[in-house]
Order: sequence, then C-alpha cells, then structure tokens
Amino acid sequence: MIELKHINKRFGNVQALKDVSLTAQNGEILGLLGVNGAGKSTALNIMTGYFPPTSGTVTIDGTDMLTDPLGCKRRIGYLPEHPPLYDELTVREYLFFVSRLREVKARSIPAHVDDILSLCGLKDVAGRPLGKLSKGYRQRAGIAQALCGDPPTLIFDEPTVGLDPRQVVEIRGLIRTLGKTHTVIFSSHLLSEVQQLCTRAVILHEGKVAWNAPLNQLAKNESLEDVFLRVTLREEAAS
Amino acid sequence: MIAVWRKELRSYFCTPVGYVCVGVFLALASLFFYISVLQEHSSDILSFILRMSYLWMLLCPVLTMRLFAEEKQRKTDQLLFTSPISLTRITLGKYLAAVTVLLGTVILTGVYTAVIGRYGQIYAGEVFTGYLGFILQGCAFVAIDMLVSALVRTPIIAAATSFGLNVALWIMNLLALQAPAWLADILNFLSLYSRNEPFLMGQFSPASALFDLSVIAAALFVTIHALDTRRWKKGA
Repeated sequence: MIELKHINKRFGNVQALKDVSLTAQNGEILGLLGVNGAGKSTALNIMTGYFPPTSGTVTIDGTDMLTDPLGCKRRIGYLPEHPPLYDELTVREYLFFVSRLREVKARSIPAHVDDILSLCGLKDVAGRPLGKLSKGYRQRAGIAQALCGDPPTLIFDEPTVGLDPRQVVEIRGLIRTLGKTHTVIFSSHLLSEVQQLCTRAVILHEGKVAWNAPLNQLAKNESLEDVFLRVTLREEAAS
Repeated sequence: MIAVWRKELRSYFCTPVGYVCVGVFLALASLFFYISVLQEHSSDILSFILRMSYLWMLLCPVLTMRLFAEEKQRKTDQLLFTSPISLTRITLGKYLAAVTVLLGTVILTGVYTAVIGRYGQIYAGEVFTGYLGFILQGCAFVAIDMLVSALVRTPIIAAATSFGLNVALWIMNLLALQAPAWLADILNFLSLYSRNEPFLMGQFSPASALFDLSVIAAALFVTIHALDTRRWKKGA
C-alpha cells in the first residue's frame, strides 16, 4: 500500500503539488489523471523516492520513505516518463544489471530474467542492443526493468505515450495482467485508458487532488470524461 | 556496488570510450618511450614514468566524463536513484570501474618496463615506488574528474571542464617555481605533481601516499554529497 499524506512540492517559485494526499491499496490499479503540468510526474517521482517532497510523508507498506528509503525502494518498480535504458547494453544484459541492482540472488537471476522476458514479450529481442529497438520494444524493456526483483508495487509514468495503436493495446494488456498480482499506479492523460484499466482514479489539477474515487462509484450515465471536465472547470473557476 | 562496477566496465568496452582511452594512452606512452628511452639509450625508468604521468590529465577526463553526466543526460539516473542502492555504493561502483580501466592501462605499460629490463638495468624497488606514485596520482585524478562529471549536465562539458581543471593543477605546479617561498610551499603542498616527486626519486613517501588517498576520499565524499544535494534541490 502506498500512502501520500499532505505532500507539497515547490520548484523555486512554482508550487507543483499542493497538499496532495492519496492512497493506493494493495491489489488496486490506480490511475493518475491530469492535463500536462498537473503534477502527475512530480507525484510519481516523489512516491518512488527520486526526489523528496518539500513537506509531507510518503509511506510504502507502512515504511516511511524519509527514514528507510532503501526499504521503500525495494517494494517499488518504476517506469519513468523516459524509459531509463542503456543503449549499449542488450535487453538481457540490461535486465541482469537491474536484477543485480534490485538484490536478486545471483543464481536466480537467469530464470528471473527469462520469466520477465516472456511476460513482456521480449524473448525475440533479448540479444539485441537497447539502442536498436523500436519505441514499442523500448517501452516494454522499460516495463520489464520495473519488474526486476518482483516488487509488489509498480509505478508507470505515461506508459503508452508515443506508441502506435497496436502497441498501446499490447501495453494495456500487459498492465492489466500485472494488475492481477501487483498494486499498479500509472499516470495518463487519456481518460479512456484510465477508465478501461483502473479500479480507482485520481484527478490532479494544478497540483491539487481535484477528484479521488473508485470508478465503480461513478454515477449512472456519467463517464470519467464528464467528471474530468466538471472538476477541472470547477477548479479553474475557483482559482 | 558490484552491479554498478560490472555495468560500467561493460559500458567502457561496448562503446569506443574504453578502447580510445587505452589506445591513445599507449600510443602517447610509446612516443615517450621512444623519445626518453630508445633515442637516449637510457634505462631511466623513473623519468619515463614521470612523462607518462602527464598523460593522466588527458586520459582521466575521457575515462570519467560519462560516469554521472551521461546518466543525467539520458535520464538513466532515475533508475539508479529509485533502486535500493545507496549513493555511496553507486559512487564507489563507478569509481572502481574507472580505476579498473586505469589499472589495466598501467599493467599494459609493463611491456615498456620489461623491454628496459631486458636491455638495461632496473631496480625492483625503484620500479615499485615509481609505479605506486603513478597509480596513486592517476586514482586521484579519476576521483577529481568524476566529481566534475557529477556536477555538470553533459559528458562533453564534463570532459572539457575536467581537462581544464587538470591543466590548472599542472600550471599550479609550474607557478610554484616562480612564486615567493610562502606561496610556493602552499602550491607544492597541494600539487598532485609535487607530491609525486619522492616516488619518482625511488623513495616511498607515506606523506605523499596519504595525501593522494585523502584527495581521493575527499573527492568521493563531495561527489556523494553533490548527488544528494542535487536530489534534494531537484528542479529548485
């Protein structure tokens, strides 16, 4: 379970997050929605410990990110907005490296990496350098590295952005599969994607949580699109 | 730490960087060998090591430029900083990878020593102290230049800045020759080149060895601190 409590983040004069509190329960697929600049990536970077908040607390399964960052990071797999790939390594070498980073026992690594390659559909390109892969395979490699060490929580920042329609379908299928065994948090600005995949959605607007509810609580005849427009327009009118 | 060390070593030799570093170093060392040993019919290995030591200012920036600056440029630092590995272990892994390439290069220069030993006379103690000072000086340059890589945003800027800094350290050594005594003392105390002189006279100097080790420890400490500070100030 990931819990953000009263998170504020200031970049110089810009307040990127304002008193953000949210919780992702175990087994939940949580979608973070918002327009560009709403604070989605900032929230995800804070959840993963990439940088700390200005104030507020992040806890992963009850462990505080500030007091035990390595303990928290062991429980998270993260795909940032730009997949962090080393172009000179092959897919297999890269996953071996990430598995070692994530403290997988040396003798278990070959089987662990094989499992991930199969799950992510990367077996055919396992021996190819990452720099020579198509955008879709690079995104899969990015997701694959997040699975190394089998963390219970997966965090993906806009995992389908820039992909062609077929690749989008494939990645969504993969996220759906992973959601059966992991807590998944992902950001998107595609309302349909969140509605298809998630059990809960959080709408961020101008750094604040504008809406946070399970998707099965949407009123009859109301779509996520209606809610998104309603809450973002309300927030803009209020500010 | 071993994971980072292995990955960095692999990266050196998956790209031209490792080969260029070792190749250019050995080509220039061969030139020095021809000038100072073959042409002079000399078996003075210490003056040959002295000439090779000037190559650190060229080799170390290329060896270290990618270590942190490229991680930032390619945004792969997000993987490292969100993995369950401390900044200290990341820094040590990268430093040891660069030092491994440096030591490999030093071992290859053993060919020159073998040639001098075959046709002239060398003393084992002299060779040992000469090489010890040479290696310690190289390790200190690697630590300083890696710190530069942690402070800037691209490998090219890292290489240029490191090279400029290394040249400045060399010029500091030359300035000490012209400076008043009190300033010369300070410059010589701080100079990596002056500190290497006892080794190049065949003397083991604990003070100089300790100085080089202190420079390495200080540069690594500041590197770790700089990475941590950047993380805390992210975007600010």
